[in-house]
Amino acid sequence: MKNYDLIIVGAGPGGSVAAKTAAENGLKTIFFERGRNPGEKNSSGCGLGPRMFRDFPKMMKELTPEECPSMRAGIAARNYFINKDDIVSGYIMARPTESVSYEPAKSWITMNVYRSEFDPWIAKFATDAGAELKTSTLIVDLLKEDGKICGVIDEKGEKYRAPIVIGADGVISTVARKSGLRKRWAQNQVTLTLQYDFQAPSEKIDDIMGDETLAVWWGSNFPASYQVFFNDGFHQGLGNWMNWWDKNPLYYLNRVINLKYYQRLLKILDAKPRELQSHLLPWLDYPFNTHTDGVILIGDAGGFPCPLEAEGIYPAMVTGKLAAEIASEAITSGDVSKVTLKKFDEEWQNTSIGKEFEAGYELWNIWKALPFSPKETMSWFVPMIMEILGGIFDWSQPHAKRVRQIASHVKSYMPKATPFIMTYVFPLIAKVFEDDLDKLMDPKKIMKVLPKLLDMLPQKKKKRGG
Amino acid sequence: MKIELEDLTKRVLGTGDFITIDYAKCNNCDCCLIICVMNLWRKKEGKIYIVDDYQSKCLECAACYQICDAGAIKFQYPNGGTGIVIEKG
Repeated sequence: MKNYDLIIVGAGPGGSVAAKTAAENGLKTIFFERGRNPGEKNSSGCGLGPRMFRDFPKMMKELTPEECPSMRAGIAARNYFINKDDIVSGYIMARPTESVSYEPAKSWITMNVYRSEFDPWIAKFATDAGAELKTSTLIVDLLKEDGKICGVIDEKGEKYRAPIVIGADGVISTVARKSGLRKRWAQNQVTLTLQYDFQAPSEKIDDIMGDETLAVWWGSNFPASYQVFFNDGFHQGLGNWMNWWDKNPLYYLNRVINLKYYQRLLKILDAKPRELQSHLLPWLDYPFNTHTDGVILIGDAGGFPCPLEAEGIYPAMVTGKLAAEIASEAITSGDVSKVTLKKFDEEWQNTSIGKEFEAGYELWNIWKALPFSPKETMSWFVPMIMEILGGIFDWSQPHAKRVRQIASHVKSYMPKATPFIMTYVFPLIAKVFEDDLDKLMDPKKIMKVLPKLLDMLPQKKKKRGG
Repeated sequence: MKIELEDLTKRVLGTGDFITIDYAKCNNCDCCLIICVMNLWRKKEGKIYIVDDYQSKCLECAACYQICDAGAIKFQYPNGGTGIVIEKG
């Protein structure tokens, strides 16, 4: 039996930040990794978010290509719109806009790094602070005495004792399962996300993509698929909630890869498939059951990825830091009960993560209904949006006539678009702008106004001067 | 474009089963057959099974465990230092 002040299961970014924080607070800390090195079992989706650099500036300014050679900033993002015939019917490129308020968010949207480089890099901050990292070790159970959790047990039966255990062990968290906090996620609380990694020469990526090194492929036959470029390769991945799949998930990812447009891109990038990865990813409208006596769950283990687009590393780091601070206080006071650890919820709710979850249900719901409902929604949304964005770039008719054609065609989508806007968009807008807009967004009022607005759209051309 | 999946994963082979099925609980819903990216779950004569060499193909996503509402699929990650190695994740 080995004794510690704090045990952290998992050496991803959340576990490492927790271990660093605890060690700096003077706690004798150990953190465990089942891989031979941190990051050996992990995949990133869309890279590191700018809030990490704002909230962890000392650490993040040390992230350099010398430390992590795969680094590439996703400066501008492409959004491809693909119709039900699998044709790319248009795309929008966007850079960080004028209203973005701080660096580095003004300069790029994501910073893309392979986890096999990033996770060992961030774990070193914890070991440098004095925390002990034990790799190649799978924690299989919690140590209990008189029904009270007091440590962990590894696969060899070795026991480690501490008054608090932080579960930083990802989506299928042993700490969550064994502490009784969660038996299993509901099927609509977790997504299956799979991705290919393609290798491609760095110079080709530079020449062909420039700084447009992040992309979302908004499809009508597959759930929205992300593309993230690294120094010498890129990920192409997609996911959806567990209860969505009707075929092998690979079928849907291969539909992206087999788009004519995509095949052309692979050819000019000289890209070759290099790795296949599949992971579960919690995607909740609100985290729940985050702590109990002697246990706190952080990051994916606690269900903290963003409710809209599932950014996971930043929430893991924020909750990891908070959990370690609260654990330090609790251990010093000698009270590690659920009642004391409740402070964890109060604290994360006050962070940027908490603010995100204030509109958690509405964000989660709209994502589910739009990009993750390709056949039901994207199949009409894509042609509708492209009619608006692209219809005008056409000289097949006198321009005024084209505008009327476009307006009339957009109107034909209204039977589908109107209920969608009412059900998903207005509740989100009302939530985002809080009470003020609640009255404005009164469905009864809208239903009164909307048909009138639609009637204003031209039925047919009126005779001039008639 | 045909992608050969076998070439796209690396692993340190461990010993011992880390996925098992409890036939007393399996209700033949077939969800595991659909969800496994590597197509490691099969059905023969009405009985679900996982292929013999699953340890050398499994991506360790745990989707089969998660999707099984009957709780028939038991999953525990492979022992420390073994299993899939993700280099470009």
